[in-house]
Amino acid sequence: MKAATKHIMYRLLMTVALAGALCVPALAESDGPGYSFGETTGKNEACLTCHADGQKVKGASLIDPAQFGHTTHARIGCPSCHEGVAPTHPTDGTRTPRANCQQCHTEVNSEYALSIHAGKASCSGCHNPHKVESPREMSGMEINQMCGGCHDKFKMSAKHGEWLPQADLHLYMLPCITCHTGSKNYFISMYLVSTKNQGKLGKPEVASYEELKEATGGRDILTLIDTNHDNYISIAELRSFNLNSEHKALRLQGMLTPETVSHRFEILDDRRNCTFCHGSGPTVMQTSYLSLPEANGTYRRVQVEKGAVLDALYGTPDFYLMGSNKNNMLSWIGLAVICGGLIMPVCHGFLRFLTRKNRTRKEH
Amino acid sequence: MSAKKMVYLQPIPIRIWHWVNALGIVTLIISGAQIRFPEAITILGSYKTAIQVHNVAGLIVAVFLAWWLVYYKMVRNSLDDIYIPNEEDIKHGIVRQLLYYCFWYFVGRPSPFHAMPDSKFNPMQKAAYLVVMFMLVPLVVLTGILLMNVTPLRVLILMSGGIKIIDTLHFLVACSLFAFLFTHVYLATLGATPLAYFKPMIFGWEEVEDHDEEHHEEAHQEGEPQTGFRPVRHYPEHPAHPQA
Repeated sequence: MKAATKHIMYRLLMTVALAGALCVPALAESDGPGYSFGETTGKNEACLTCHADGQKVKGASLIDPAQFGHTTHARIGCPSCHEGVAPTHPTDGTRTPRANCQQCHTEVNSEYALSIHAGKASCSGCHNPHKVESPREMSGMEINQMCGGCHDKFKMSAKHGEWLPQADLHLYMLPCITCHTGSKNYFISMYLVSTKNQGKLGKPEVASYEELKEATGGRDILTLIDTNHDNYISIAELRSFNLNSEHKALRLQGMLTPETVSHRFEILDDRRNCTFCHGSGPTVMQTSYLSLPEANGTYRRVQVEKGAVLDALYGTPDFYLMGSNKNNMLSWIGLAVICGGLIMPVCHGFLRFLTRKNRTRKEH
Repeated sequence: MSAKKMVYLQPIPIRIWHWVNALGIVTLIISGAQIRFPEAITILGSYKTAIQVHNVAGLIVAVFLAWWLVYYKMVRNSLDDIYIPNEEDIKHGIVRQLLYYCFWYFVGRPSPFHAMPDSKFNPMQKAAYLVVMFMLVPLVVLTGILLMNVTPLRVLILMSGGIKIIDTLHFLVACSLFAFLFTHVYLATLGATPLAYFKPMIFGWEEVEDHDEEHHEEAHQEGEPQTGFRPVRHYPEHPAHPQA
């Protein structure tokens, strides 16, 4: 019995020793340069050593540290989403576990499950989790670029053109989510477009940080419009920018953007009623923001004076939502012109009536 | 007692143009009002219908503007004489006609305008129609075409200063034409009878007093100034009396 107990104890000790011998190098490896486990969580430097290097990784695995750094995903750390990365990564040939977005984004996931997109595109089909931007930080044109990844521009234009007048214009001037999600409130998202080196009339694209920096001569790009540096854009400043011939290649555009973004993509019948937008009136047209690119690839949002898009001519010369952002003063001028046309007939007709006997006598 | 005679005033192409234009402009005013004030005006039903009606009516008016231009300039070759004031019109005619409308008409004196072949407008009408037909209508048509084709004609819109400039021009010119419409209709009632000028635009023929021309000849022989004639417009190449 004693001999048997000794044998068991001996085997147990050998097992523990063997396990220890195997585990120590692994634990040592996890604190090495390749990973950001344990105490280094949130810093991500270990992962980015390779994943920020374009020569080591390509495609979706390549991460821009500046863009990634300001996201919530960076704060929680790589392993929070990519659990169980083997210590021997990447030489072991195993695939890195994909993130399960539902773990955190439960509500979004349930909302998305009800949309017409459900089952057709995963989260990463539209979003780059390493470059997260809220809709408020993006230009409307970029929001549509996400949709354009799957939805062919020409096919969409033809499809919408079956019922929508000037379909091209609508698709260019509206984020898809304005009509295809059920947001109730909207704001005007303004952004600068440039025609690159094609002159004033070239194809407009969202102006990059570098272009705007060059246009300001190295100063803060907000000073292009915000000339009094109060981090607030008045209608007078908008007019001044739009009339400034120095910025020929830059133009200010705007899009009607949902204030609250939903992931429940749907085809809403009320959007087919043009008055949903065109009859929305000046109430919706009050709030607008200017989105300007930052050096790290994100956008800065600057508040614009209320009702800027209702300015008659030069507040936003390229943004006009027929029926909704008409200028009231202009409408009154138009009415005055029409009434002016009545002055002659009414006055002449009145005198004509009073002097009718003169003409009757002459005829006789 | 003066005799009456029938003169052929408005040829068929001009009557067709006029009434298509009239219907088109009224339609454009109504649909345009709904497009600008959708929250208050819903005469044509949906906003989309208003836009489609406005577009179709606008295109018809544009096509018939070309019809009018081709007819007067190339078929009859009388566009310049009818619409462009000559030196006499500018020096004296406009003021004389203005004085007639403002004073002489009320004391019962006849119009100083003496119509000539292919010159059916008095100097003030010439000046007004010159602005309306050669500036306002083409401007409202051109801005309308730009607004109908914002994406394909983007470059032209940018060259004009932006879509708001185009829309403002379109709106204000349209209001000006609307305003002119009142004067146009009112002046059409200043004939011998209130409907005298409407009839030729419907039937082509106008009944005029034959003694007018006799009186004119007498006055001319006696060296009197050429005033005292009511506006007589005629096309001498057409028979003086229509077939019964």
